[in-house]
Amino acid sequence: MNSLDFSIVVQAWPYLWSGLLFSLSLTAAAFLVGMLLGTLFALVQHFELRILSQLVRSYVALMRSIPLILVLFWFFFLVPLVLGHLSGNGRPVPVGATYTAFITFGLFEAAYYSEIIRVGLRAVNKGQFEACQALALSRFDTYRHVVLPQVFRVASPIILSQTIILFQDTSLVYVLSLTDLLGAASKLAQLNGRLVEMYLAVAVVYLIIGCAASQFVASLRKKYAIAGARR
Amino acid sequence: MQQERTVSPADPFPMVVVEHLVKRFGSFNALSDVNLKVAKGEKIVLCGPSGSGKSTLIRCINHIEKHDSGRIVVDGTELTDRICDVNNVRSEVGMVFQSFNLFPHLSVLENCMLAPMKVRGLAESEAHQRSMALLRKVRIHDQANKYPAQLSGGQQQRVAIARALCMQPKIMLFDEPTSALDPEMVKEVLETIVELAQDGMTMVCVTHEMGFAREVADRVVFMDRGSIVEEGDPSTFFRAPNTERAKAFLNQIIH
Repeated sequence: MNSLDFSIVVQAWPYLWSGLLFSLSLTAAAFLVGMLLGTLFALVQHFELRILSQLVRSYVALMRSIPLILVLFWFFFLVPLVLGHLSGNGRPVPVGATYTAFITFGLFEAAYYSEIIRVGLRAVNKGQFEACQALALSRFDTYRHVVLPQVFRVASPIILSQTIILFQDTSLVYVLSLTDLLGAASKLAQLNGRLVEMYLAVAVVYLIIGCAASQFVASLRKKYAIAGARR
Repeated sequence: MQQERTVSPADPFPMVVVEHLVKRFGSFNALSDVNLKVAKGEKIVLCGPSGSGKSTLIRCINHIEKHDSGRIVVDGTELTDRICDVNNVRSEVGMVFQSFNLFPHLSVLENCMLAPMKVRGLAESEAHQRSMALLRKVRIHDQANKYPAQLSGGQQQRVAIARALCMQPKIMLFDEPTSALDPEMVKEVLETIVELAQDGMTMVCVTHEMGFAREVADRVVFMDRGSIVEEGDPSTFFRAPNTERAKAFLNQIIH
């Protein structure tokens, strides 16, 4: 048994750093797209728009029942075929691994965020809607200024948990031969044989980021807390 | 009909006309054939046992409940299913709820400013000015930057009144405004409503506060099982109600 040698991690840092940046940007993009689409999906179901909400419900059920890794494969192989078909010449149009990852993660996370927001919408007190009606607020203003802000506040811990899971799931991009933080570490570990050091170092990075995210949300919650709210 | 306020139900331009109003919840008749006219400047107290339809009636007047048949005309606009009619009516009708329904994530001031800015299109400075003036009127301007949950129930309800007034409504509806309050806070809210009444606001108030009814009501309307059973001026109604049902009800609330 040779003893642990962390200098290897320091040497590898630039490569790990580029992996980490990829993980973070994929997380950020998937979060934005996912929250935007997810909110839209949740609202469609909340308004019970007949055909549309059926579609959305099926979409959410499908995405939530399939492993992310399978969805990644599908997108990677199917979308080029579909695009090729649509473009008319029948030849597959490659989307590229990076685009595939960004699109898939955004669409996949949208399903999860939409469930969180849908539940949050149902938790808003009926009196809030009635107060908005009584003030003649339009539907748009009701949701924009009264309902959704309350939903986001109440749901923020669950949204955060989902986002941390999302961050960890970015490691699945290895199936598209993309290099995220974990991917970078395992590649180097296999090259230099320092598996324990590399994986320990990466675990610490994940830990730091996870804790920082929790702290960040806790401070946000303090800042925007519905002061003294009981209900 | 010289200068004095007309409170006669025969007013040719009433603020609210309700004719043959029917509202069902499933098979339950919440309102069956209700007729009511509210004149400009008139103050009506609606009372009756729980489940008698009084809340449902005022909730129909600003279309929070959709009526099944009959007509409701508010200040000349008939309430139909058309969104513009509904919004026209709602923006002229202020409503105060039993459970306040303030927006918990907005400060007292922001609660008041939201609708004037979004519905009336007021500039922020104007909305601010108007809100502060009305918060001062209900004597809560020193709490303008607090959040609803930091206030007592009575204070919250006064904010709710100010918020409704910020839309400069032509009529105010009160749905049991003091029922959710601790006893010691009832008075401050009732005083605020009395002051509003003295300013000449048209109002329909569902309440069991009989002292309040005596003081401000031009007319007491007694409902039971979805219909108006009896109406009259408060002194007559409380002293000598005509119907057995009203007698029984009054006996119960005066213990």
